[in-house]
Amino acid sequence: MAAEPRAIRTVIVDDEAPARALLRQYLGAEPGLEVVGECTNGFEALKQIGDLSPDLVLLDVQMPKLDGFEVLELLEKPPAVVFVTAYDEYALKAFEVHAVDYVLKPIGRERLAEAIRHVRERLAAPKAEAPRAASLATAARAPGRFIERVLVKDGVNVHVIPVERLDWIEAQDDYVSIHAEGKSHLKPQPIAEIAEGLDPARFVRIHRSYVLNVERLARLELYAKDSRMAILKDGKQLPVSRAGYARLKEMM
Amino acid sequence: MHPLLMGRLRQALYFAGWIGIGALLAAVLGALTPRPIGQTVLFIAPLALFYAFACLSAWWVCRANPLATTSPERLLAVIAGASVQAAAMWVALGALWAIALQEVAHVGPDRIGILRDVGVLGIAGVVLYAQSMAGHYFLLSIEAARTAERRILQSQVAAREAELRALRAQLNPHFLFNSLNSISALAGGEPEAARRMCQLLGDFLRTSLSLGARESVSFGEELSLAERYLAIEQVRFGPRLAFEKHVDPEAEHCAVPPLLIQPLIENAVKHGVADRVEGGTVRVEAHVRQGVLEISIENPRDPAAPPRRGHGLGLANVKQRLNTLDPETTRVDVLRENDSFRVRLTLPAIGNGEATAVRAAAIERNQDDHGR
Repeated sequence: MAAEPRAIRTVIVDDEAPARALLRQYLGAEPGLEVVGECTNGFEALKQIGDLSPDLVLLDVQMPKLDGFEVLELLEKPPAVVFVTAYDEYALKAFEVHAVDYVLKPIGRERLAEAIRHVRERLAAPKAEAPRAASLATAARAPGRFIERVLVKDGVNVHVIPVERLDWIEAQDDYVSIHAEGKSHLKPQPIAEIAEGLDPARFVRIHRSYVLNVERLARLELYAKDSRMAILKDGKQLPVSRAGYARLKEMM
Repeated sequence: MHPLLMGRLRQALYFAGWIGIGALLAAVLGALTPRPIGQTVLFIAPLALFYAFACLSAWWVCRANPLATTSPERLLAVIAGASVQAAAMWVALGALWAIALQEVAHVGPDRIGILRDVGVLGIAGVVLYAQSMAGHYFLLSIEAARTAERRILQSQVAAREAELRALRAQLNPHFLFNSLNSISALAGGEPEAARRMCQLLGDFLRTSLSLGARESVSFGEELSLAERYLAIEQVRFGPRLAFEKHVDPEAEHCAVPPLLIQPLIENAVKHGVADRVEGGTVRVEAHVRQGVLEISIENPRDPAAPPRRGHGLGLANVKQRLNTLDPETTRVDVLRENDSFRVRLTLPAIGNGEATAVRAAAIERNQDDHGR
């Protein structure tokens, strides 16, 4: 006799109690689905999803602290995600981060059941190579819009760094070291990717391994032919490549 | 281009008038110095034609000395000076013409008769030119009144358009979607609460439509709309959303443009409550001090929250609306502290009845400022 298939362990993330109640009510009618947790904000969601490793997260977009996309970006092994929101403008972005479905509020029972059907299909299918969450978040940026804050996970803590506080970013193998307000944070992300998300009017890739917040630049010094140093306002020196110098000049 | 020369009809009327004046002058001259009628006409017709054109010059003199900005003394001096000058020219021309007729064609009166003729020309010249100036001032003031009227109309249309834009932007569909979702949730286990919410939502929508259709509403009406809105949001956010108001009874009777504070209340809920784990209190204060209505809307804010999209749109809207109302007596101050956000609106404290008249006056004043 075949074993009873394991239930889909589900976490509901929404800051509004009635919205959570409705989801719980509808999901109660789904066979083989178990709601294992409920969270009311992004930080809580991050912690619970980490602790419970659910199969499915029903995720609101607009929440206190971290929004739904930011939660997803910070998860190392994101579960299947269905976004549930009153805003239709994030739909494209949701599918770019490989959400299984995108359900609009007010939620229809039929519509939610359909989303759960899609989830079952996705979970039954052989696991495709899951793209890294961070790169998904970068890809999900709307064109012409740049990231406003950088998120770094440090154990159980999440640092939220507004981009205007960034000083410079250095590539270190598969990581970037993000320097802001005298501290540095390590984040597993290629430097090209983070550079791409930043506003080119404020951040310049001055070297293969360095991105600089141009507001921090005090002056440039010529060291040898085609070799320059960027001197920051706090005295820090960073190398500037020929291509980086060209980019800086173009920007100024 | 001179307004009297625009259009065939005006030209015809003007010169017909001058035929009458010419005939009158001929009668006077003939009576003072009897002579054959043909001679009188020969003398006066070209002179009258000349003066008909000369009197049109009064238009430029009038325009150079507008009634509104010229003192009465100066006005009299200008009229007298211009009239005497024009008459003197006419007299000189009349004398030359009379002598020419006498010398070349041997027609017309003797020296005494010519003197009498040009005397009449002098007096008539001053009077006619002064008349012409008066007429032109009259024309100019009609024209000015029409322009002012058109400008007021245009600015009223502009103000109306701005309000419509504002109202359209204010209709926030997400509020509706979320509320419907809450109702749907309540319908399962708490049907009474669901019904109450339906009623609140219906009330809110009906009131906002009826307020939005009016030119001005009392602040008390605005406030009660905001309270309905907050009651609905309280269903969504539960104890996270708190509301406090400190409002003078006098302030409740003041007139404000409809739905002025609604976008600010929505912002306060979004940034002060929805974006904060612990929620917050939306605080509305309104006072009347020395004829000025001061409304302030305050909410806590998360210092780490980045500036979100759409932020400032509602605020810009409010600024624009107050500016259309009257840029001189209204203002919007934004006080952004580390953990709180406050918008203060200042506008004249006017009873709801007087509002329309005062607004029209303000628009007129604006137009004067722009026209200058």
